[in-house]
Amino acid sequence: MAERQRGISVHRRLLSYLLAPLILLLVIGVAVDHHVIVSPIHSAFDHSLSRSALAIVARIHPGAGGVPEVALPQHPPPPLRAMSDEHFVYRVSLPDGHTVAGTADLPLAPDSQSDDGFSYTNITYRSETYRLASYRTSETGDPLVVTVAETPARRDRAVHRLDVAFLINDTLQMAAVFIIALVGIRIALRPLQRLSQQMARRPAQALNRLSTEQVPAEVLPLVESLNDLLGRTRNSVLSQQHFMANAAHQLRTPLTGIKAQLEVLARETFGTPLEDRIALLHGGVDRLAHTANQLLTLARAEPSAHRDSHFALIELPKLIGEVADGSLDRAIAHGIDLGAEAESVQVSGIYWLLHELLGNLIDNAIRHTPAGGNITIRCGTEDRHPYLEVDDSGSGIPAEERARVRERFYRGAGSKTDGCGLGLAIVDEVARVHNARLSIHDGSTGKGTRMRIDFPAIKA
Amino acid sequence: MRILLVEDDSLVSDAISRGLVGSGYVVDAVPDAESVAARLSDSHYDLAIVDLGLPGEDGLSLVKRLRHSGSSLPLLIVTARDGLDDRINALDLGADDYLVKPFALPELAARCRALIRRATAAAANEIVIGRLRIDLAGRRALNEKGEVLELTRREWSILECLAHHSGRVVSKERLTQAITGWSEDISGNAIEVHVSRLRSKLGTSATVRGIRGLGYRLEDG
Repeated sequence: MAERQRGISVHRRLLSYLLAPLILLLVIGVAVDHHVIVSPIHSAFDHSLSRSALAIVARIHPGAGGVPEVALPQHPPPPLRAMSDEHFVYRVSLPDGHTVAGTADLPLAPDSQSDDGFSYTNITYRSETYRLASYRTSETGDPLVVTVAETPARRDRAVHRLDVAFLINDTLQMAAVFIIALVGIRIALRPLQRLSQQMARRPAQALNRLSTEQVPAEVLPLVESLNDLLGRTRNSVLSQQHFMANAAHQLRTPLTGIKAQLEVLARETFGTPLEDRIALLHGGVDRLAHTANQLLTLARAEPSAHRDSHFALIELPKLIGEVADGSLDRAIAHGIDLGAEAESVQVSGIYWLLHELLGNLIDNAIRHTPAGGNITIRCGTEDRHPYLEVDDSGSGIPAEERARVRERFYRGAGSKTDGCGLGLAIVDEVARVHNARLSIHDGSTGKGTRMRIDFPAIKA
Repeated sequence: MRILLVEDDSLVSDAISRGLVGSGYVVDAVPDAESVAARLSDSHYDLAIVDLGLPGEDGLSLVKRLRHSGSSLPLLIVTARDGLDDRINALDLGADDYLVKPFALPELAARCRALIRRATAAAANEIVIGRLRIDLAGRRALNEKGEVLELTRREWSILECLAHHSGRVVSKERLTQAITGWSEDISGNAIEVHVSRLRSKLGTSATVRGIRGLGYRLEDG
């Protein structure tokens, strides 16, 4: 299963739905700020432009012949000084258009009839943009028009600076809102996270209900339908178990009858030509019985069939003692030294399943160990992990076959024994039920196989 | 020796009867639990073999009923169910042993022999293993020549403990518990010493097999 492949993240979606409007809001905010600030700045600069006009008016004297004279010094006073990157021009003219002083071709602003006598306009003069102010006055006696114009570099700079300030300010605000939203979403989604942790901590095969405590109302329907699904799955597993139990009964009884009848027949036909054929039949029925048993065990070992309540604390040395006791006669008959090195250790498990697991491991070891060999069953703790292993001095499993031997019905290339190929599949399945891991190593004597089951760490 | 077989499947019932008759037993087979009472009142049986999955009243209920009525008849359960619960249940209710189908006839015969022997020994307060006779009441053991073995108190305790579990592995811890009183403490090595002395005294009448890391097992000759 592609567990890593993430679906649509609610977290990410919430953020992206939030981020787009926030950015739009930022743009609108800066635009509004710009519009709000632009006219006061312009009127401030217009006011300063009007000061320049008044400064010029102050230097106008009535001249000879009714023509006024303007006496501007070589170095004009501050209002008339232009910065290096801006231009300042002026024109003093009579109402008839006659230029008294300044630049003669400077246009005039149309009279706006304002109370203070100033009229403003924007013009393009000598292919540059200018802000122009015309002052219509009669202060010096005769009516005059004083026109001043400047390039808007300074006011543009001021507007630009303020725009940047607004942008920074608004961006910081938005970022703050975004971070607050981020934290808020994270906190709001915490119950979901708890739910997914609860799911993650469950054993893969667990079918018990999920807790609905602390589940937010929005997620409750999801949890409830999950519980519903789990319940139905558990029921189907249980009915399958029931079916298996019946199947076991129906299979085993006739097998017992056939086997026992053949054993009686073997005795009765001892020494006759039928003897060999009955022995063959008997061998076949034995294999059939073994396979049926293993299949039933495998089906009953199905991880999802077990509930937490089936688990109990199991002393591994006691388990080893019991299973070894049952296998001892076979080992002795095969001329194998079967022994144990058991340290006291407990695991949480299902007794009959662990019994099957160890029985199959020992059975395998006996099958693959020649007479004179030895088999050692060990249990103990390593790094707080209980382990159980069966170490034999037999034929061993080539490294390239180790991954495949757990497959159902897989039998090694050199397999001469009559196993049905389900033993390690059962071991693997039982290990999974216990969240344990089966690994296959070289035997500790240098030959043979060491089958090891590592259980999850003991809770302190 | 007379055995009552309660088994509904005729194929199985017929084979078990033939097999046990071949081993020298007299076998009466009945197909259901309801016929058991009549048989038991008619004749004396040394053992009953009961299938758990009987039609009508099932085997577990039969075991319970027999034990409630005070019968001490040795009961061997055969079952096609492999649920451990069923077996434990059967043993708790008073069955003496169980076998899971499919089993081999020699295995069944061996279990029958052991159960009958155990029942007779309990009556006679005696256990026989191979050619060794253990007189529990007299706290003495006799070899194949009928000679009483001279055993120390600890060697006797070991032999008694092993004999009670004959054919099964007895752990060193269990033997230690069997031979030590409250105040005594004894090491695993001491057990080995006692066992090896016991071994030489038993001679060829019975064998104490040492099982590496697991314990000891008392076996026939």
